[in-house]
Amino acid sequence: MLNESRIKLMTRLASFETGEGKKSMAIGSYFRGDYIAKEIVKSIIYGTIAFGVVFGLYLAYDFELFMENIYEIDLWAFGKAVLIRYLITVGAYSIVTYVVYVVRYRRARRNLRIYNNNLRRLASMYRKEAKRAEMDKGGS
Amino acid sequence: MTKLLMIRERIKSFYSRYEGFCNPALKFILAFITFRMINKNINYAAVLTSLPITLILSLLCSFFPMNFILVLGVIVILLHLYALSLETVLITGVFFMLMFFLYFRFSPKDTILLIMTPLCFILKIPYVIPICAGLVGTPMSVISTGCGVVSYHLLHYVAGNAAGLMTQESDPAFALEKLRVLIDALMSNREMQVEVAAFAITILVVYIIRRLPVDHCWTIAMITGLLIDIVVILVGDLRFETRISIAGLIVGSIMAFVVAVILKFFIFNVDYSRTERVQFEDDEYYYYVKAVPKNTVSLTDKKVKKIKGSEKNTASAAASEDGEVPEEKVQMDAPEYRVRRSGSINSTVAGNKNRTRRIKIPEGVDNRNI
Repeated sequence: MLNESRIKLMTRLASFETGEGKKSMAIGSYFRGDYIAKEIVKSIIYGTIAFGVVFGLYLAYDFELFMENIYEIDLWAFGKAVLIRYLITVGAYSIVTYVVYVVRYRRARRNLRIYNNNLRRLASMYRKEAKRAEMDKGGS
Repeated sequence: MTKLLMIRERIKSFYSRYEGFCNPALKFILAFITFRMINKNINYAAVLTSLPITLILSLLCSFFPMNFILVLGVIVILLHLYALSLETVLITGVFFMLMFFLYFRFSPKDTILLIMTPLCFILKIPYVIPICAGLVGTPMSVISTGCGVVSYHLLHYVAGNAAGLMTQESDPAFALEKLRVLIDALMSNREMQVEVAAFAITILVVYIIRRLPVDHCWTIAMITGLLIDIVVILVGDLRFETRISIAGLIVGSIMAFVVAVILKFFIFNVDYSRTERVQFEDDEYYYYVKAVPKNTVSLTDKKVKKIKGSEKNTASAAASEDGEVPEEKVQMDAPEYRVRRSGSINSTVAGNKNRTRRIKIPEGVDNRNI
């Protein structure tokens, strides 16, 4: 027999699974540290590419001057200054990534907790229905 | 006010019912306006400016996710700029790449903001954006709005200096010079920097205030946001001499307030939950469920209750004891609302949000009249 409240609960679960749940489940399959580390590594890669491109443009901007003075420039100091800027850029990008993805992980875990509670409720509904069916069978 | 509420309910119910058609249609309109604006402002590749191409691209966008409009828009811009000069494509391409690194990592759902920011600049109502972003977005909307502002100023500069950027010589020194001019234009544009800072501060302030647990928080957020936006822009103008039009700022801010009020009316406490179709199974059945959100307001019922003279006298006598003046004619526009003394309504929403919840009556509505 159809159980209306069970169908409503199943509908809600199915709706979550096909919508927001997909992302939450993907995030929830990681430990917190692993997930955030993965995203920070991605950010470091993106940050490095972005810094490389911007540095390339910087060189192109003053290319003639740079080539004229290349033997007079203290390359060690220049390299150190570039490295410091790189670390600051990537560091800032990573900190923002950390904050954003901590919030996203927390939200996904909260959604999954609600989803799991609903699954437990569904299981208990099934148990109750089975028990009732058994009692009906015993009574008859 | 009740009439407006009814119109809103009609729109909501229409959207809920025809969501499958509304979303592609809205995406088509947005994409069409975006491509037309691009073609109007930077029309260097003649083949892209034709109406059939624009229609085809817009139609394509209506079937794909929102971010597709953005990607296609960037491709169209780069193709236009390619017809202008390679250096412009290089700088713009690098900028868009950096923008995508920020945007797709942190706020990939803010497509509408990113697209609307340059459009609002073109329509001369840019101050609408930070207020709306703060009201409906997240703190990450700062990124999408900032990218939108920079995109507008970059393309505005290119459109205004097309003659100088046009490919004329194949001399590498000339190419480097053009590169330098473009980088300078982007880096030394104080107006753009002030606007990015003002919009970012405004978005954060509006977002923080609208989430406060106080009455009229949306209205307070809108007004405070506008004032902060004006103050930051004025301070930036004084500090960096950006030559921003003060009259434009004031008029734009008033326009922003009007748009924000309209937005608030259509979004504040309104659930545009859509019809959902899900399928699942258990041991006995396959279920194909269509969950339709319930509408909360009866749109057409209207009852006029007339109190006759004799009853009036009785009522007057009863009221005079309570010190109240009786009403002769009571018009009920939306009788299905069940009103509580505390000013909240109970309604049950079915479908994917199957729960009893309390809906707050919007500000300014006298709940005794509903």
